[in-house]
This record gives sequence, structure tokens and C-alpha cells, in this order.
Amino acid sequence: MFRNMKRKRYTGTKRSLLLLVLICSLLFTACSSKNEPNAAEGANGGTSEKPVTLKIEVFDRGNSPAGYTITDNYWTKWIGENFGKPNNIDVKYVPVPRSEEVEKLNVLMASGSDVPDIVFTYDPNTFNRYAKQGGLTDLGPLLDEHGPNLKQFLGEDVLSYGQFEGTQYAIPAKRSNLGKYASFIRKDWLDKLSLPVPQTTDELYETLKAFKEKDPGELGGQVIPLGMTIASAQYEPLIWSFIKSVSEEERYTLTQQLGSNDYPILLPGFKDALQFMNKLYNEGLISKDFGLDKDKKKLGEDISNGKVGFFSEDDINIYYENGSYDLLQKNVKGAEIAAVDVYTNDEGKHAKPKYAPNGLYIMIPKSSERAVEAIKYLDWMASGDNLFTIQNGIEGENYTLVDDIPVAVENQTEEALNRMYNAGDMAIISNGKQLGSLEKNLKARALQMPKQFHEQVAVAQQIANADTIDPVLMDRPIEAQTKYATTLLDKFNEIIVKMTMAKPDQFESIYETMIKDYMASGGQAILDERTEVYKEMQSK
Amino acid sequence: MSAIAYLRRYWQLYALLVLPLTYFIIFKYGPMYGIQIAFKDFNFFQGIHRSEWIGFEAFREVFGMRDFYLTLRNTLMLNFLDLLVSFPAPLILAILLYELKAVWFKKLSQTILYIPHFISWVIIGGIVYQVFGTESGMVNNLLMSLGFEAVPFLTDKSDWLITYLLVGVWQSAGWGTIIYLAALTGINKELFEAAGIDGAGRLKRIWHITLPGLKPTIVVLLIINLGHMISIGFERPYVIGNLAVREYSDVLSTFVYRIGIESGQYTLATVVGLFQAVVGLIFVLGANYTSKKLTDESIL
Amino acid sequence: MKEQTANRVFDTVNFIILLVCTLICLAPFLHILAISLSSVRPIVSGEVSLFPVELNFEAYFKVFSDPSMIRSLGFTVLLTCLFTVLCMVMSIAMGYPLSKKKLKGRKVFMFIVVITMFFSGGIIPEYILVRNLNLLDSIWALVLPGLINPFYLIILISFFNNIPESLEESAEIDGSSHFRTLISIMLPLSLPVITTLSLFYAVGRWNGFSDTLMYINTPELYPLQLKLYQLIQNNMISELMQMEGAQMATVVPESLKAASVIFATVPILIVYPWLQRYFVSGVMLGAVKG
Repeated sequence: MFRNMKRKRYTGTKRSLLLLVLICSLLFTACSSKNEPNAAEGANGGTSEKPVTLKIEVFDRGNSPAGYTITDNYWTKWIGENFGKPNNIDVKYVPVPRSEEVEKLNVLMASGSDVPDIVFTYDPNTFNRYAKQGGLTDLGPLLDEHGPNLKQFLGEDVLSYGQFEGTQYAIPAKRSNLGKYASFIRKDWLDKLSLPVPQTTDELYETLKAFKEKDPGELGGQVIPLGMTIASAQYEPLIWSFIKSVSEEERYTLTQQLGSNDYPILLPGFKDALQFMNKLYNEGLISKDFGLDKDKKKLGEDISNGKVGFFSEDDINIYYENGSYDLLQKNVKGAEIAAVDVYTNDEGKHAKPKYAPNGLYIMIPKSSERAVEAIKYLDWMASGDNLFTIQNGIEGENYTLVDDIPVAVENQTEEALNRMYNAGDMAIISNGKQLGSLEKNLKARALQMPKQFHEQVAVAQQIANADTIDPVLMDRPIEAQTKYATTLLDKFNEIIVKMTMAKPDQFESIYETMIKDYMASGGQAILDERTEVYKEMQSK
Repeated sequence: MSAIAYLRRYWQLYALLVLPLTYFIIFKYGPMYGIQIAFKDFNFFQGIHRSEWIGFEAFREVFGMRDFYLTLRNTLMLNFLDLLVSFPAPLILAILLYELKAVWFKKLSQTILYIPHFISWVIIGGIVYQVFGTESGMVNNLLMSLGFEAVPFLTDKSDWLITYLLVGVWQSAGWGTIIYLAALTGINKELFEAAGIDGAGRLKRIWHITLPGLKPTIVVLLIINLGHMISIGFERPYVIGNLAVREYSDVLSTFVYRIGIESGQYTLATVVGLFQAVVGLIFVLGANYTSKKLTDESIL
Repeated sequence: MKEQTANRVFDTVNFIILLVCTLICLAPFLHILAISLSSVRPIVSGEVSLFPVELNFEAYFKVFSDPSMIRSLGFTVLLTCLFTVLCMVMSIAMGYPLSKKKLKGRKVFMFIVVITMFFSGGIIPEYILVRNLNLLDSIWALVLPGLINPFYLIILISFFNNIPESLEESAEIDGSSHFRTLISIMLPLSLPVITTLSLFYAVGRWNGFSDTLMYINTPELYPLQLKLYQLIQNNMISELMQMEGAQMATVVPESLKAASVIFATVPILIVYPWLQRYFVSGVMLGAVKG
């Protein structure tokens, strides 16, 4: 009996519990719907003497030097002084942790208030999603009215990347340089073995074998002829060089854009690339643990310790002070690296991807009442010397002009150095220094590096800009890509790792299963949609 | 006892409950309306309430994904192995510490054993790579210098499982001892003395006195652990896992992160979360019921 | 005699096992310490294992001369103390009544607790709640939402349950109120578990940062672990760095990261040894006797 009673009580309370939950949720519904952004405040503002507040997202990388914070530093003050005061605008910065960028942005957007007036992301999928869900301000008319300098600075081509189904929902930042990758070889090893610089992939293979067998670095079996990682800078140049020349239709339909890069998984030649990597792996010519090296840390270590004979990398990455090359020269006497262009495709070209001309997607949420001020802010940045000043600092303290190109002052004071720590993140409308022409931009980029590397950086940059493959731009966003990109990107990398590490006799069967899985997990959906969009583009 | 007499006697206990219950209602049950996202096509700008209802469509989508089953299997597998290996580890360690004679070493090792708990997974990941890497990991360097072949601790599926488990034990066992050490303080020392006179061996004494003394704690921890069989932390499999062993290392939490958070599809993430919650609740109630029958210990 | 040798063998084996475990657990800490004290070249070349190479104190100099780190340490200590005290007050207030088997409605309350171990509203409603309560950008956003951990609460209840009922009953017969019984009998008797749970709450708060990523926008209110996390993540996103191109000349050196790890970890590490004094066995026994 007692037990029975207990049970009754139990069910009874369960019901009341449910009721409780219901009441609570209603309570909070009421609360949250009441808390709309205070709309009345800004409606008739504008010319009143009280300054309006413009909230701008800023990446927080946690590297503020002593005395500065990400919301209060040299450039925030400088902008407040030069843009804020004259325009009667109070500029406030909202920090967003760099590594949690999309997550925090999502929550801010979903919560409906506290959203900064200017937000941005590198992720085209996030941009497409926001645009599709109707959360962004149409910037077309605003740009025409308030952004003449900005429009001129960016140009039609760059701006087109910020369009979603014909509407300008984002302002893309402009890249100063579209080159990505170069390859590098240990010149001193070649000299020691009296080998020429390899000119083709086949010659490279022979060179790698020579590196392994003859061990010019006297490493006793530790030599890594080809330094590889699972970051795109290392595998993309290799893979893309195997992709066969295709018709325009195939290029549009078979390419898969996952995130901001194009991936050739369905293009003819991809399998050959994997087969080549598999051969290299099974012959011990590339790093055994390359599949673990996501952040290139191990590769950097191996290069600095003189173990690596050949590798591909972002054109200027190894040249930084205390970077791989600098350290290699300290660790290994007489070590010399030459920038080379080796991988060759069926047309005899050194094909490699390049960047799309846009960087960040800068957006203004629909809920923002400061869209005009936001455009003014961006326009101000694009006009006069403003961008130049933010990117280069103060003449005499941070840089001096040599042939119109700003050159960093040697032995800058601590104060001057610290000033520039977030300059790149403040100059949101541009990726890299803008000096008016590609030639100048590249020169300025080279001049940032330690003196002894200037000439080589120039060579590497030239390589990065040679024979490049343009990214494919579709007329409208591919929804399946927005949806499946992260999953498929993971699978793409998995395919590379597993196919490279597979035993040669299992290559075919593993390849088949993995491609099948890839297609079933969204690859097919992307292919179908791209085919459809391509047809639309043709019929126009 | 009449209701009034009951209340007169116990009102203080209810008074104590007022604040904590308010806390639960506001902070835990308040946001639970978010669960409805699972049944809606969540639009960031419409908000939760104005997004459109889609019924069970998102459930169908999730249950139709191949990765869902793979990650579900891996989650259960890794948790089950953890239950076999990582669950008893702190218990054993705690008993060893308890039996230790040298007081200075006891205090010192207790403090050091729990250090790994304080090292963030990102850093542990880097260290694991340096220690267990195939090419130049410390362990393999040692093996090779002894004339053995290198073991692909991180890139072979089964070897990776062992690495995963050992790293887990290493990271959490010392920390886990703390709760047992607290429980051990409650054991009546006189029982030990009596056992000593009886001439019971050390292992016997552990078996007959120490372990029974820890039983309530073990049972509570076990029930809670069983309730979490289907949920798994994000960081450990993410950091120790890699593309070569993704078949084993991809789990529900990484799956949710990928399809839900990174791809901005909160509906799908909520569906998986809801599924995990329901299964978890069933598990914990089942475990609680079984334990009550078998050991008379329970949490509810 | 035989038994004594068996005893000695047991003790020796035990000592050796624990010594090995201890060394394995100490090694990574030494590794981080070694990196924090080494120079750039050996670190990037991967030469540092357990001892510093090319000894260099610059990283520590930088950490200690950064006022924001010191202020952050102060804030974190304050936050952790406030959080722990409130958590324990709430947990005890809830745990004590729920440990009474006789209490009517106990099962319902327990159920309310257990449900929250599994179901939650998710990050967006939680954020909206914190915002609507006007807690954003304040210390309370980091304190209030996590006040009672159901898991710890259940542990506490289970410990309360194991205190002999005869003790409480005798107090009740003496006419002591529930409040008094709780404070003068239950709490002293459960000092070990209270210390343990305080440690759990404190460590959890000290090490936690994911809520700060969401709720805090003012750099002045960044706890240490958030700063640390950002430092460590700084070059983890290499793929992105590449995309951001020339903007990234501001990579944080490894030694500075390691020194920050040490700086942020040591204060909380020394809490446990200090708390160990409350792990005195036999407390309960003495009370039963008396």
C-alpha cells in the first residue's frame, strides 16, 4: 500500500513539474520579447549634440601588450580622435575572441541585442547563412550615398564577392596580394650532390630519392625528403598540379568549394595526386606523422633542424625573424634554402591555387540603427591617408618612405612597436598593405622581412603569383556547400591522410569507400546543385 | 503525524530549500524553452519563438546521417572502455595512497598526481604528439634504440585506443582520488586495528574493510557515470584524435560541433543534445533502480 | 615474521608504483616549466624536453611586468572565492534537507535536480537569460549560472547519508533545531567532503573560461584562464593565419605561453596541499564516541 501511495505522489508531482516548467518558459518568453533593442533612441538622432554610439566588432587575439587592451589602445584612441570627434560619433569596440569568432557572433545575432553595428567573418558560409536568413542590411544604396571612397577603393570585382543573390549584403575586404604558395628546396643539398634544381614533378621525385639515399645532410636516417602536413599550404600545390585540364563546364560543376577554398576532389587527376602521395609515403619520402601536423608546428621544427629537403609553404612564411629559415641558418652551418616552382601539370604549367580577391566579409546587421554611421566609418578608413596610417604607423617612428614604399624603422622603440600590435585587425577593409599597385604591395611585403631575405622573398612571391588557378565564382551561393562544408572538409582531409598512408594493394578499395562516403555525406548534393546553377548561368 | 505537526517539525528543512530551488528554476529550467529549437527551423534573426515549426524533420535528418551512427558507436565504445579502465584507476590509486606509510611522500605524491588535471587539453595534445609520435616521439625513439619497430600509437586505430585510454587515466586518475580519499577518512580505524590483531593480510584488509567503506561513493559515481555513457567531452577525443583514426576518434560531441556550431545549424545540434539527454536519463534511472535492488545504494 | 615480510614487500611495491606514477604526472609540468625558461631557438627547434635550454627569464619578466596579468590574477582569485563560498552555501542548504529520507517531496526535488544533469536549454537561451537579468559584463554572470552542480550535490547528499542517524537523532532529542544540527553536528562531521567539494568548485571556476568567452566583453574582467586560452590559441589557427596574410606579425612566443601557463596554474595547484589538513581521518569516529 505504501508503495502505491508513493507512486501516485510521484506521478502527481511529475505533472506539477511539467506545469512548473511551462510557467517558467512562459515567464521567460515574456521577458525576452519585452527586451527589444531600444528602438526609439536613435530614430531621430543624427544631428543632435549628443554623440551617437557606433559599436564595432574587433578580433581579440589575447596579445595586447602591457598598458593596452583590445578595446582601449593607440588605434582606438586615434580613430576616436580622427573619425569619432569630427563626426560626433562615439566609437566603441566589442571584442570577439578570434578562435571563437563564429560561435560568439551566432549567439550575439540570435540574442537580438548587443549586436555590434559592424560585424565580420572570414567564413563565407556564415555570411551566406546570415544573408539567407534575412539578418543583414542591404548596403547597396548606403554605399552609393555614403561610401564613394570605399567603393572606389574596393572596386567592382571585390564588391561582387559581397553580394548574395544580387544584393550587396557584405562589404568584402580587399586583398593586397592573391598569391599563395611557393616551394622550397635545400640548395646546399643539391650542390653537395651536384644535382640541378628539379623542374618537373618527375625530376622532383628523383631528387627526393637522392636526398633519402645519399643523405646529404648526414642525418643518419632522419631525413625527411618532402616535408608534408595536413595544412593546405603543404598539400595543395602538389595536388592541384595533378589536376588535368578540363572544360569550363567541368571546372564549374566538379569543383567543390568548402569554406573559402576550392577543392578538386571530383576533378580528374585527384586520384593520381593521391597515388603519388601514397608512393612517396610508402617509399619513406614524406613525414610519417604528417597527418597529425595540423598547425605545421612539427614541419617548422623539422625545417629548422635541417631535416627537410623540400616542401611547399605560404610564400613568405619561412622568412620571418626567428622563423624556420632564420633558425635553420642558426642550427645548421651553411644551410641554404631556395624558393622554387616544381610541381608541373599536364600542360607543363606550375599550376597552384590563389586567393579570391576578398578577405573578411564585413556586415551590418539588420537590427542596427547605425548603418549610415557604419558605412561612414568604413568610407573614412578608405579615404585619404587613413588606411595607410593605420597599416604603417607614424613616419619616422614606425617607418620611413623609400621610393614611396614604407620601410619599417630598425630598432623601433618598444612604444612604437607595441602601437602596431593590432593594426592589422583595425584596418578591416584590407588584407595586407595597400599601396596602390600589386608591385608596390609585394615590395612592401618583402621589405617587412629581415634584410638578408629580401631578394628571396621577392622570388617566392613571384612564384606564388605565377600560373595561378582562379577560384570559381558561381552566380548564386550553393546552399549545399553552406550546409555540408565543415563535414566535407574534414572528410577531404581524412581522404588525403588515409589514402596516403594506405598499403598500395588496398589503395583502390579504400579509395572507393571513402569517395562513396564523401558523396553520400553531401558531396553529391553539392555536385547536383552546382550542375543546376551552371545550367542556369548558361541559359542566361 | 498531522500536516501541521509535520510542517512545524520540518519547516526549517523546506526553508533551506527555497533559495536552491529558486536557483534551479531560474537558471536551469528557465532556459529550457530552448529545447524547442529541435522542432523548429531555427533562424538566428527570427529568434527561438518566431522560427518555424518543422516537427520531427530535423530528427529524421540527423538519424539519416551516416556520421551520426559512427559517432554514436564511437561514443559508446570509448565510454565503455573508459568505464573499464579509467573508472577503477582513481579508486586503486586512492587505496594505494591510503596504504602508503611514508607521510611526506604521501602528501607530495597526492599533490603531484593531480597536476595533469590542471593542464589544458591543447597543451596535453602537443605533449602527446611529442611523446607518442611515430617518427620522432620519445617512446618510439626509445623503442627503436632498443631495436624494436616503431609503434604507430597515434595513427593506428587499435593502438590509438590504448593511447586514448592511457592519456585519460593519466589526466584524470589523480584528480579522481580526491573524492575517494575524502571518503576514506570516514572509515573507522578501529576496524583496521581489529583486523590487524586478527592477522588479516593487507590485501585482505583492503578487500574486507576499505572497499566496503568506499562502497557508497563508488556506487554513486558509477551510477552517474552510467548516466553519461552517451555523452562525451569534446576536448579529449578532439585533441588526441586525428584524421588517420577518425573512424574511432570521431564522437558525438565533435559531430555536434561540426554540424551544429561550426555550420550554424543549431537545430541539428539541439536534436542530438535532446537525444543524448533522453538516453542519458533512461540510463541513469535504470542504473539507479538496479543499484537499489542489488546494493541498497541509490542517488534518487 | 612471515606476515611482516609480506607487509614490507607490499609497502615497497606500493611505494615504487606510486613513485613511477608521480614521476609520470610531474614530467609534463616540468616540460612546460622548461619551455618557459628557455630561449626561442631551442624551443622552435624542438630541443627542450625536461630541462631549460639556453636559460632565459624574459618570459617571466614579461608576465610579471604586465599589469593586466596581475589584475587578472586578482580578479580570478576574487571570482573563485566568491563562487566557491556561494556554491557551498547553496549546495549545503540543498543537500542537507535532501539527505533526510523522511522529508516529504524529497524524490521530486531530487528529480528536479537529476533532470538538469541531462537537459539544458542550450547556449542561446542561457545567454538571453543572463542578458535579461542584466548580468552581462559583470562578475555575477560568471557566478550565478553555475551555483549548484547536480553531480557534486549528489555526492554531498551521499556523504550526509552516511553520517550515522543516531547522531542527529540525539541532537533532535536535545531539542536542537535543524539549523543547529546542521551547523554544529553535520558540518564538522563532513569537513572532508566539504573541503573536497569546495576544491572541485574552486578548480572548476578557476579553470573554466567558456562562459567568459560569451558573457564578458570588458578586458578588465577577463579571468586568467581566458587570457591564457587566447594566448595558447593564438597560433593554433594557422590555417586562418595564412588567410589573414600579412596581418599576423604578432605571434606569441612559446616561452611566454608556457610562463603564462605556470603563472595561471601554480596558485590553484597549491590550494589542495593546503586543504589536505582537513582530510583528517577519524573525525567522525571521535564524534560518535563522544
